[in-house]
Amino acid sequence: MRWSILFFFLSWRFSVTAAVEEYREELTLRPLVDGKLAAHFSFSTLLRSAVPRDPSSLGTDDTSQHYTLFPLALGQILREHAIPEFHLTINSGKWDYDRWGHPGEPGVGSGAELWAWMGDGTAVQTSIDARWKALQNSLSGLFCASLGSMDALHTTSPANAFLPTGDLPRLLAPARDAYTLRHATLPAERVCTENLTPFLKLLPCPSRAGIAALLEPHRIFDADWHGLGVHVRWRADRGVQLTLTVQVVLDSVRTSTERRRDWTLESLFGRSLPRSCNVASSSVVLVTLPSDESAYTLSPEPHVSIEGTWSRTSDLNIVMKWPEEERFSYPLNIPPLSDLSVRRTLKGSSQTHGELSVVVRNNRPVPVRTHYLETMPWHVEFFLHTLTVTCGDRGVDCASLLTNMTYTPSRPHATPAQLLATLELPPHETLHLSLRVRKAFLRYTEHPPDAQRGWDLPPAVFVPFDAPHRRIYTPALLVDLATPDFSMPYNVIIMSSTLIALIFGSLFNMLIRRFVVIEVDVKVD
Amino acid sequence: MSGRSRAVVRWSPWAGLQDKFTMSSSGIPLIGLVDRIRRRIRQLRPSGDIAARIRKRKKVAAAVGKYLDVLRLGLLATGCLWLLALPLSHLQSGTYIDENALQPSQVNTYWDWGDVHRADKFLQDVTSLLDRNLSSAERAVFFATEFAKSGIPSSTQRYSIPTARGVLNGTNAYAIFSAPRTSGTEAVVISASWKSLTGGYNLRGVSTVLSLATFMKHYSHWSKDIIFVISDSHLDGMHAWLSAYHTPTNPNQDVGPLSIASGVIWTALNIDYPGHSFSHLGVFREGLNGRLPNQDLINSFRVISQHTGGVPVLLYDHYEPSEFPGREQIRSFFPTWLPDWIREHEDVMEYGYRAKNILRHFVYQAKGRASGAHGLFHQYRIDAITLFAVPSNGPHGFHALGRTVESTLRTMNNLLERLHASFFFYIITTPSSFLKIGSYLPSVVLVAASLMFGGLGEWVKAGWVEVKDEYMPSEKEKVANATPNSPKKKWIARRRDLLDAFMVVVTSHLAGLSIFVVICGEWLDTTRLAYIITPMCWVTLVLFRFTLRPPPASANAAPLPVLLKAINMCLASTLISVTSVLNFSLAALLAITLGVPLSFSAPSRSLPVCVTKCAVYAVLAFGWLALSGEVTQAIWDWQVLGVWFAPLVCLIYVPFVLQAGVVSGLAP
Repeated sequence: MRWSILFFFLSWRFSVTAAVEEYREELTLRPLVDGKLAAHFSFSTLLRSAVPRDPSSLGTDDTSQHYTLFPLALGQILREHAIPEFHLTINSGKWDYDRWGHPGEPGVGSGAELWAWMGDGTAVQTSIDARWKALQNSLSGLFCASLGSMDALHTTSPANAFLPTGDLPRLLAPARDAYTLRHATLPAERVCTENLTPFLKLLPCPSRAGIAALLEPHRIFDADWHGLGVHVRWRADRGVQLTLTVQVVLDSVRTSTERRRDWTLESLFGRSLPRSCNVASSSVVLVTLPSDESAYTLSPEPHVSIEGTWSRTSDLNIVMKWPEEERFSYPLNIPPLSDLSVRRTLKGSSQTHGELSVVVRNNRPVPVRTHYLETMPWHVEFFLHTLTVTCGDRGVDCASLLTNMTYTPSRPHATPAQLLATLELPPHETLHLSLRVRKAFLRYTEHPPDAQRGWDLPPAVFVPFDAPHRRIYTPALLVDLATPDFSMPYNVIIMSSTLIALIFGSLFNMLIRRFVVIEVDVKVD
Repeated sequence: MSGRSRAVVRWSPWAGLQDKFTMSSSGIPLIGLVDRIRRRIRQLRPSGDIAARIRKRKKVAAAVGKYLDVLRLGLLATGCLWLLALPLSHLQSGTYIDENALQPSQVNTYWDWGDVHRADKFLQDVTSLLDRNLSSAERAVFFATEFAKSGIPSSTQRYSIPTARGVLNGTNAYAIFSAPRTSGTEAVVISASWKSLTGGYNLRGVSTVLSLATFMKHYSHWSKDIIFVISDSHLDGMHAWLSAYHTPTNPNQDVGPLSIASGVIWTALNIDYPGHSFSHLGVFREGLNGRLPNQDLINSFRVISQHTGGVPVLLYDHYEPSEFPGREQIRSFFPTWLPDWIREHEDVMEYGYRAKNILRHFVYQAKGRASGAHGLFHQYRIDAITLFAVPSNGPHGFHALGRTVESTLRTMNNLLERLHASFFFYIITTPSSFLKIGSYLPSVVLVAASLMFGGLGEWVKAGWVEVKDEYMPSEKEKVANATPNSPKKKWIARRRDLLDAFMVVVTSHLAGLSIFVVICGEWLDTTRLAYIITPMCWVTLVLFRFTLRPPPASANAAPLPVLLKAINMCLASTLISVTSVLNFSLAALLAITLGVPLSFSAPSRSLPVCVTKCAVYAVLAFGWLALSGEVTQAIWDWQVLGVWFAPLVCLIYVPFVLQAGVVSGLAP
């Protein structure tokens, strides 16, 4: 196998004495088979030998916080709510697993996703739910996102599917490992400049130097797919680690007038890399080489290795060209690059019933065991007895491949339903799951302002047992519920007036009418 | 009956209220207010004499009973005249854009001559497909490959739909362009069917879709996924694709599953371009079972076509009277015996133009037939129209069409919600004017009201009969009643024995069902069936006069014809009024075909009149079977697309007319 990743170093600081805080930045550029380019920015700050706050100490004064590189705004949130690990991603777009493969950072579901592991507090005001709410509000304030609407209607606890990626410190009380997961998604949340600006402020070198200089909003938000991520985890041997990520899928074929896939840092991001970030202990650009056989050139020469302390003084503009290509020709048959291909649709056009259909294909030559997690707001109610699992195109019954099913039914107007099951996928086999659903009839106050758009349903998640970090999100869905015509106040007024007249009038009449006998003289001619 | 009657009437609500309040405390200001309101209302009332009011009420009811026939005829005539008045421009209003988000024709379009060139190249390829006589599967693979070459995931779908006349086979090609940065929950469809609605090949429509796919991929401003569909045949291919997209599985139809999917489809544009160039773009809008798209879609398209594309818009392919072939077309729309100076008159011309548009709409909508492939979308709550490039020698081609479609899509792209304002009930009379629901609905409702009055009148007639009073009141009663002129006639109540009438109703509906089964099976040519069954029906109806002799007229039981007519008319009225808000044209058709014959059904003493009437009803009930082409088409629509028209005619129209026939056939 040939070496498929090349390194471009911006700076490298070989630290003899381990500093308390360490900042590393990294940009991975990966040309994709359909002519696009995936860029994965990762800014990681390590707070060495720090330990997350124990929830039992929440009532008391906390130790003072002094950081040089770690963002204080985020550090305060972590200490205030005693969060050892949380992950926030806000993405726009539909990640095409088949063509783009697995992303560098697995959280690519459409919209906002937040999950946190929290230790159980002792007092009521420090309960998990209170801190979960507080965490959302703090983060939505910090990132200008409407995370505060992740209320009980959206929150679940699928602990098997979202295992902690770091360690969890032992708790002092009441139980030593009473950790709970809280997970919520907002599929309709979009990411835009107002999220990126506060995001960049958390970096030691925001947008002036280092890799973050490439995060130019016009280019980032013109991409085919883009997402921000904030990941905090604790490792017992290292400390608290904060990783800020930006993932972008750029289409250089679309932006070039000659329809070529050649790219330079300048054509992608509008500027070349100006200078290194001085506080970064490493600042690296990695280029994954394309897997197809086409001839390409890459300049400047990449570094093989660097020893000692080194810093780049001139601009870096990486250029990759396919000189033999007149224009990019899209490959006609692209074998799926991901482990699983998933298609999830909600069928049925009626406003009362529908059918959820999930088609999963195992692209690997080995059997795959995977968690299947479906989180449904209460608006869509599963009829579990109609769940059928069939294999292949001929529809052979394969119910035995779905095991370990746990189902938490929804409570109307209160909590979502959660379906967690284990799927065993034979090699190169396609599984069809179908499930009839009922669509709820909402109270009129429960409709959103854009009622006629429909309700967004969060993506389902597949987490393979052998590679939990390669979890797969299906696209979000939109469900049409029975909706009154809110747009016409005229209709509403007429409707309500008629109801009031009918109900009030007849009731009032019946209550107070007096019945008397009257003599009528009928004059007959 | 005695001259005095006792009636229990409900008396003033305020009396009780006052009692309640005054009992508690009269010092509260509220009571004073209630008193004042009560006094004010009492002043407004004509008089406090309740007996007089009851007498007045009775008088009005008696007058309605007396002039019932005039009332019925008046309502019926007004309704029919109103229908005829629909094309008058006074009833109509100008079109406007209701949804502010649409902003039609407010964008710069990017479709240029390079894209036209690409469309021309696609046209060459597509024409060669036709020349090489490829199978539909091979064609679909070609289309899917062309989509894939543009970098858009594509696939094909096989289907086979069994009908009474054999199996419809075909293959669709489709591609789904995932819009950048969207979660793929909403989608817009651009489609072209292989066959045009003119019956020819839609080669240029298909080329336009292929070229648009390549073009749209290069822009990042799309907020909805764009689905490109090239459906096989005219309607069945699109039907198969849509049902595979929306419904889980249909056991009757072998429709292949779709291997790529997107979100909820909001809007669809179907492109039909059969000629080599076009002069106008025509809008076809009618969907299955009379469904219509939101009018904003049509209005936006009109604005865009005129301002961005520079192409005038037509309804269907009807030229306006101001344009060259239009005048001639409208002239020939009128009967030839009309003198030329009437036919050439401007107002008459205008009336004729609008009447022609309305009539075409009525025919599509009443039959529940889709006027193009777009009509299949509406049942899934998708607003869709067909853009028909009216074949001509010029001046427009791919350039104008591409710009118009691009701009229309950009307009639909602006939507954050579905088009939802109550803009689904309209009759478009010219591209820029339409009839609001309030101005066309009353016509049919008036006819229905006439039927309902008739039915209720018959019901009263069945329950009460006026007989000569042979009973002489006793001396004592006379004194008690103390009325100067004792009546010579009196009203007596009759029993309404519904069982016989009910049996006739059930039998007639069963007859309708059996006719439906027979014509669905297509064992017989329906024209021959018409020649057999109409005389049979006639003879049967006449024979009822002699076989179904009611028991000797008893004063205690209502006669069968009266009861039957009451049920028949009330049912027909209900049916027409309910249908009028679902499918106005169908309701109008029923109002004419049921309203008039049912109003005049009555048993007759003279045999010739009875025989003639029975013949008329027999022809009305089964004469339509002679139109075998129409019948076959309606059955195809029902079996493949689920259009209600054929079952409605067999199961509702025929039985109603048969019941009216029985009423006329029976002896009085």
